[in-house]
Parts: sequence; structure tokens; C-alpha cells
Amino acid sequence: MASSVSTAQERPSGAPPPERERARSRELSESALGRVFMAPSLLAMTLVALFPILYALFLSFFEFVGREQRGFAGLGNYATQLTDPRYWDAVRVTFTFTVAAVALEFLIGLGFALLMNQAFLGRGVTRATILIPWVIPTVISAQIWFFMLNITPGFINAALGLGDFNWLGQRPWALISLILADVWKTAPFVALLLLAGLQTIPGDMYEAARVDGASAWQRFTSITLPLLRPAIFVALLFRTVDSLRIYDLPKVMTNGANGTETLSILVQNYIVDQPNPGIGSTLATLTFILVLGVGLIFISLIGRNLVIGEE
Amino acid sequence: MKSRRHVLATLAVLTLLSTACSGSSPEDSTGGGGEGEQGGGELVWAIGGAEAAVGGLHQQVTELWNEQNPDSPVRIEILPDAADEQRNQQALVLQAQDSEFDLLGMDVIWTGEYATNGWVASFEEERGQLEDAGVLPGALESAQWEEELWAVPYNSNAGLFYYRTDLIEAAPTTWDEAVEVCTAGAEEAGIAPFVGQGAQYEGMVVNFLEYLFGAEGQLINEEGTESLLLEGDAGRQALEFMVQSQADGFYAPGFNTMQENEAVAEFQSGSAACMRNWPSFYAQLVGEGEQAASSEVQDSTGVTTLPTFVDEGTTGVTGGFNIGVNAFSENVDAAKEFAVWAGTNEEAQLLLAGGSLPPVIASAYDELPEGDPTLGLVGDVLADEKTGSRPPAPTWNAISQAIQQNIFAAYNGEVPVEEALTTLNDEINTALGG
Amino acid sequence: MTTAPAPTGESVRRAEPATRRRQGRSTGPVARDTAGRRIGKSALLLVIFLWCLFPFVWLISTSLKNSTGALNSPNIFEGPFGLQNYVAVFEQDFFFNLRNSAIVAGTTMVVCIVIGSFAAYALARLRFKNKVLLLSGVLAVSLFPPVALVPPLYEVWRTIGLLNTYPGLYIPYIAFNLPLTIFILVTFFGTIPQEMEEAARVDGASPFQAFYRVVLPLAAPGVFAAAILIFVYAWNEFLLASTFAPRDLAVQTVPVAIASFTGAVAFQRPIGSITAACVIVTIPMIILVLIFQRRIIAGLTAGGVKG
Repeated sequence: MASSVSTAQERPSGAPPPERERARSRELSESALGRVFMAPSLLAMTLVALFPILYALFLSFFEFVGREQRGFAGLGNYATQLTDPRYWDAVRVTFTFTVAAVALEFLIGLGFALLMNQAFLGRGVTRATILIPWVIPTVISAQIWFFMLNITPGFINAALGLGDFNWLGQRPWALISLILADVWKTAPFVALLLLAGLQTIPGDMYEAARVDGASAWQRFTSITLPLLRPAIFVALLFRTVDSLRIYDLPKVMTNGANGTETLSILVQNYIVDQPNPGIGSTLATLTFILVLGVGLIFISLIGRNLVIGEE
Repeated sequence: MKSRRHVLATLAVLTLLSTACSGSSPEDSTGGGGEGEQGGGELVWAIGGAEAAVGGLHQQVTELWNEQNPDSPVRIEILPDAADEQRNQQALVLQAQDSEFDLLGMDVIWTGEYATNGWVASFEEERGQLEDAGVLPGALESAQWEEELWAVPYNSNAGLFYYRTDLIEAAPTTWDEAVEVCTAGAEEAGIAPFVGQGAQYEGMVVNFLEYLFGAEGQLINEEGTESLLLEGDAGRQALEFMVQSQADGFYAPGFNTMQENEAVAEFQSGSAACMRNWPSFYAQLVGEGEQAASSEVQDSTGVTTLPTFVDEGTTGVTGGFNIGVNAFSENVDAAKEFAVWAGTNEEAQLLLAGGSLPPVIASAYDELPEGDPTLGLVGDVLADEKTGSRPPAPTWNAISQAIQQNIFAAYNGEVPVEEALTTLNDEINTALGG
Repeated sequence: MTTAPAPTGESVRRAEPATRRRQGRSTGPVARDTAGRRIGKSALLLVIFLWCLFPFVWLISTSLKNSTGALNSPNIFEGPFGLQNYVAVFEQDFFFNLRNSAIVAGTTMVVCIVIGSFAAYALARLRFKNKVLLLSGVLAVSLFPPVALVPPLYEVWRTIGLLNTYPGLYIPYIAFNLPLTIFILVTFFGTIPQEMEEAARVDGASPFQAFYRVVLPLAAPGVFAAAILIFVYAWNEFLLASTFAPRDLAVQTVPVAIASFTGAVAFQRPIGSITAACVIVTIPMIILVLIFQRRIIAGLTAGGVKG
């Protein structure tokens, strides 16, 4: 069985033990190998994203009127935006939305994942059903929820007997409607990642715990949750940064009215609608800094050891 | 088994990569697939909307032209349905100074922006020709910016007042009257009095301006440098009317999330007594066409011009499309010829009228096809003095945004009327001052 | 310690069940089926089905409606019904759009997984400097609001000539999906104990072979999860597609095509054809999901090891 490739048998005497030799050459080539492995990804990402990001950053330092550039503005655009109440409203709306939506998505997604992990009749269909909301294009799902929630034609109002409840036309229900639509659509994303994570938990651990007399809840909190941490981390991180940049949903459902103007709607307004590339790029950069900040906090608090292991 | 899986996987990847790398197979299909060749004097007209599709009115117009001008045929490049998307796609090409499009279907509010960016050719020389052909002054106004003509009016549009003839005897001519009869009629039938466009979007701006112009007010001055919102009482009157209507229930519940489609859905299903909407929805309410098959108000729909606050005439906000010529096109002269033809040729304009698109020349209104009362009404609206247009300023989007934010907040009772008007006035001045 | 699998195909495959038995591929706790539990479970399933499918049912019923009145009414059972909307959708050459989306999404998925797993392996297993920095940089790429990146990217694409081509679409898709892919795969590679590869390497496997033969199969759930997510993203992406391939039927993807549907008259929203197109589009996705979800659970070897 071990005849195929074996370097352990013959070696010239006096040579260093193969493990150490291999270890040294492994160390030498490991960082090179690391670079080689990372190269294609880094290349793709830099080529596509780096130039536009730098260009957008560059534009944010100039003053524009409409599409015309009117000169260097230094940090002027940033000052204007950071003192604009509309900007801070957008920040507030975005953060409220993110916290509520991600929390709900996590809980519901976790529930879905635990369910999908079980063996029961019709589990394939159940899994596919749970994933259906995620595969529908965002714009379409936003339209669906608009039609269902809007007071005319009042689909949900009719189904639940709510009469003339104006879901999308009043604060805070407009934002709540958005959260509902978002959770419906993206809880499957969380569920999918957590399900894959559940697959990596060894079944014997549960057996051993059960033998030791642990209850279902105890098994959940002391085995499932801790071992699921890597998957939870990825799911939460990406859901958070996505929620912070939500655009399609509020645009289609409320067009940013009634307390639903998110940062991305503001950015899109200035880059595309008006347009004012200077302010637009400024807002984009501010959004970027905000989202990156949140992402980095995530990584440093939860993710460091999980992802990298020992340095 | 593993090797078979490997083989399958490799095959799949190779197939994918080969299709991906060999570039796409250009399809010769209907609907405008593939890049048109610019040789041979073909003109590309970038326009979108319902009538730009195959068999639509715009296509029919190009067919008419192509028959008579086989050496400079016009081909339509179909743009997306939403006006914003159309503008985005045109802007991408124009900003790159590309000659892919020769003719542009321009919404009436884009004139200033396109002109200031140097994207369109001037039509000042052809102004005389257009005036002689009887192009309506209101339409011409929407195609000019800073006293220069930058596009040719192609089709027009104006909002109308729909009402239930079984609940309301005589069409109202003032808004006070409208409130009275619509509320009374609605109570009788247990439905909502009035639906319109109250969501926070461009349509609401049009509704507001209709109130403003109906009170003989103006938004900005002729030169396009200053806001006239606070001049006189018109602004106040218009906004207070909206506040009152929302608070009293003249506006249907859910008015503040309604766009055109929601309003007509309510009216069509018999849930509203009166409606403000565009003429194109008449086909959905009355008639034997497929559109009106499920209309609950077939026999009880009346349509008239909008009421005003001054009890004479009517008012409106002109909409519609103009045709501009790409300044970087390789066929500017031929393109300009087509544009002028499409905007002045009686046959072409009557073609539009036949499809319920309001024409832009006066003579067409004398020969309107039968069966569609809306066109005649639009003609009346366009002829009235109080009818105005949204100023096609380059910064119109900023102005529109300001109006949306302030007026929406005000009529929903979140901000007092005076404060909203003052803020809006300032913001408009900032946008114009730039 | 234990018998290590030799790095040849045969023995690795033979050893895998043993490996998996050792690692104990999980299928979740076995439910003890009391009557109450079953009823509770069925009720829960019903609620979940309703929650997930209710809007989808609305979608299907709206797509089958023929009249403007029905389309706007709150009653999903109000007819008349018919296939008119589907006919209209296919009359607009929707087949091309489906093909284009499939090619673009498929390519994105495959390339992303391939180069992403290499990068993820490097980050998870190999030693080199500045991993955290790289990881943060990787994340940062996907954070900038795409709408701000589109104008400069459009200029570059136009100059290079990548507009209206497949690569013009899938190259940015790959770039923007790599961060998520890498993150998912890094965490999944991280859950695989190092001893697996040590064992393989002791027997003389190169790092690449160890990665390919031992790590990748064990990380299969993560790989397939990432694959689905990438495919769905590329399939549904609108902003870049509408900028880089707006009208050319040779490349135009499904979401852009749907946005170009028009109503019968001006201002009318063509909700019938939009929902019909959406149903058409969702069906292959559901099939894909059905196939892939088994992969996520079962991993690469058929029949895994239950309990």
C-alpha cells in the first residue's frame, strides 16, 4: 500500500532527516506558494476595482455643478455632506435597518438551517422551498412586496383584514415593511451558509453529549453554536455590509420616502439622477468608509482567529 | 467514477470557457439585436417606452419616413421603459462623445441638461420653419433652454380630470367645486373621492405644479435664474389645498403612495369618484379594446380638463417627448431633417394622434380621429395660457428632488406650509444659481 | 497514528469513508417521533412553506392573469387566466437573454470558485505575511458602492472594447464575488483539522495534491454553498449588466431584458409580463438549487455516512 510514493526509505546517510529538510523547503516555498495561490484573485480584484475606487476618491475632491467640474474643493464636499442633516438621516435609517434586518435574518436563518439539517420526508423540497426567496431577483421581489403591501391594491390588507392600513405611506411602517421584505428575501442566504456550517460538525459529538445527559438546548448552546461560529461570522459579516448598502428595495418600494432614504439611495441620487459627480463620489467614499469600518470591527472582534488560525 | 466526474467537470468548464471566450454569437433577430452599421446613411433613433416597441407608433412613423427617404432610413434602438433608464443609457453614449445614436428621444425636462453639456445640436436655424408649421408654443418652450432651441417637439402630453358620470352630473371647473361634487358622489357610493399621484416621485411634482399653475402661479422666471414660488399667493394656495385634501380625506387613503398605475387601478375598479391622470389611460377605462375588458366603469367614465383655482379656462403641465440630434453624430444634417419632419409633418403627427399620443402641431388638432375625447381636451389644455411646463433646467433633477422632499413632507402634515415653501424656494434658487 | 491514506486515487477514495466516519459527517440529531412532535413539526413546516411561498404564489397567479383589472385586484383568484403573458415574453426573444445569463453566471461561478479556493487555501493554510491586511483588502473591494464604480469602469471598458461582450460582464462579476467566495472558503478550510493534510503529506503528497484530494472534498458544503450564492448573484445582477450590455441581444442578460418590457400604453407598468418573465427565470434557478442542496448536505461521495 505504501509502495507507490515513499521517500522515507532510502536516503544517503549523513543527509538531514527528510522531515526537517522537507520542512525547510516547505517553509521557503510556502510563502511563494501563498503568493502564487493568491495572485489570480488579487489580480482580478485589483484590475477591476482598484482603478474605479481611486478614480471615485479622486473625484470627491473636486467641486461640480451638474456634470461640469468647477475646480478643486479639497475637503469641501466632505464638510458639506458631514454637516448635512439629510446625510445623517440616511445614516440613521441605514443603521436602524441593518441592525433590525440582520438580527431577524440571523434568527430566522438559523432556524431554517437547523430544520434543513434534519432528515425527514420531503427535506429536499423543503430545502428548495426555503431557498426560493433568495433566487428571485431583488428588483422583482421588491415589486412583489410593493404590490402586496401597498394600500392599493391592498393584497395583504385584504388577506389579513386590515382595512386601509397604509404600510408604505407612514413612518415607521415604511421602514418596517422594508425590513420585512429584506428578511423574507435574504434569510435563505444566512440559512444556506449556516447549513453548510452545520455539516462540518461531527455527529459523534452530539452522541457523546447525549450519552452524558445533555438536553437538546444544552447540546445546542455548547456544541452547535460554538462550532458554528465561523459560518455565523461569514453570514453576519456579509449580511451586515450588504444591508448597509441596500438600494433596490427602498427605491422600488418607497423611493426613499417616509423615513426610508438609505445611504445608497442618496449616493445613487447624486451620481446618477442629478448628477453631481463631486458630491456623489464624496457620499460613496463616506459610505465606503462607514461600511469598511463596520466590517473591520467585525473581523477584529470575531473573525481574526477563526479565519486565519495561527500566523 | 471519480475520473468520469472529472471528465464531465472538465468538459463543462471547457465548454463554458469556450463560449465565454469566443465572444457572443451575434444574433440576427427582431427587436434590434446587434450593433447597426452606420454606413449607408442609416440613422439610429434611441427612444424607449411603450410605442417604441415593434409595431408601436414610433416604429410606424419611421416606416413612413423610410418609404419616402430610402437613402437615409431611420432605425429605432429600443431603450428601457423607464424614463430614468433611458436618460442613463443616452448619457453614457453622449458623455463618451460616441456616435452610436444619431437621434435621441428626449423627455421634455432634459433639454437644459443636454444643451449645457453640449450633447445636442442646435435647432435655432429651424425655428422659423417650426413656427410656420404651427408647432404649439408650449411645446416649443419645452424644447428650448436659455432662448435657444435644442430639440424638435415630437409629441405632447398633459394631465386630465377623470370622473364618474353616474355619480357626478356636471364636470367641475374649480377645485373647490371638485371637492364638493367628488366628495358627495363618493359618499353616495361608499368609495374614495379622489385619486392622483401623491407618492414621493416626479409624478407628484407634476400634480403640484398643476395646482400651482392653476392658481396662476409660476415656478421660475423666464430667464431661468430665480424662483417665483413665493411671489403672490399661488404657492401657498396650492400647497394648502393639498394639505387640506389630505387631512379632510378628499385624497383617497394611500394617496401618498400612489403613482399613475395605482390611481387608474382604483378608478378602473370603481373605487374612486374622480382621478387626475394622463390621457393614455382612457383606453384602459372605456372602449372595446382588450385593455378595457375588465373595466368596471365602462359606461360611467367622463373626462375633462383639469379644474383650476380661478374659475376660468384650465391648466396643465406639458409632458411628452422631443427629438434631439446627437452633436457627435456623423449624420447631423440628415438627422435634423428627420427630426423636423417628425415634428411637423401632418401625416406623422396624425399617426401619433391615432394612437392617442397628443400631437404638437395646431393643424393636427383640427383633424383629430374620432372616438378619443382625450386628444381634443389636451388640445384645449395646450392652448390655455395658464398651462406651463416644468423648466427644462440642467439642474431640473435637483429642483424636482427639492420639490418632492418639501411638498411631500408638507402635505402629509410633517412640516408647516410656510416653512416648506421657504425652504423649497431657497433650494430652487441654489439649484438655479449654480 | 492511524492508517494514513496513500495519495493515490484508489486508496484515497477507499479511505474517504473511513475519514468521513472519523470526522463523522453530520446529518443532524435523529428526531424521536412522538405524535405531538410530528404535529408540531408539520405545523412548523406549513408555516415555513406559507412564509416562503406566499409571495411566489402571488407571482405565479399574477403572471397568469390576462386583464388589467385582474392584475390590479387584491384577489389572487380573480381571472381571467391565460398564458398570454408568457407568450408575450418569449416573443421578445427572451431565450437569448436566458442563454446569456446562463453563460455569464456559469462562467462567473466556475472561475470564482477555482481561483477563490486557491486564494482561500493560501490564507487558511500557508504561512506568509500580512494575512489580515490582505483579508481586509479583499473585503474592501466588495464594499465600495458599485454605482460609483460604474462610470470609470464604463470608460475603461469602452476604451478596451469590452462593452457588449461576455468577458465585459463576468470579469467584474468575478472580481466583486471573490471576496465573499474567499471568506466562505477560508472559514470552511479552517474547520478541517490540519492532521488530514499532515497525514497526506507524510505519505508524500505535494501540498497541491493534499489540497485537492483531501481538503477540497471535505469543504464541499462550503464550496457548493458559495457556488449557489455566486450563481444567483450573477444571474440577478442589474446595475453592471445594464451599463455594460444594455441592448445587444447577443449579450443582454435577463434582469436588463425585464427592465425593457413595456406596458401597452404609456406609463403603464407591464406587471403581467414582468411576473411571467420572473417565473420563467426562477424555474432553472430552483432546479439548480435542488441539485446543489444535495451536494451541500451529502458532500462529494455519494451516500456519505449517516449518523
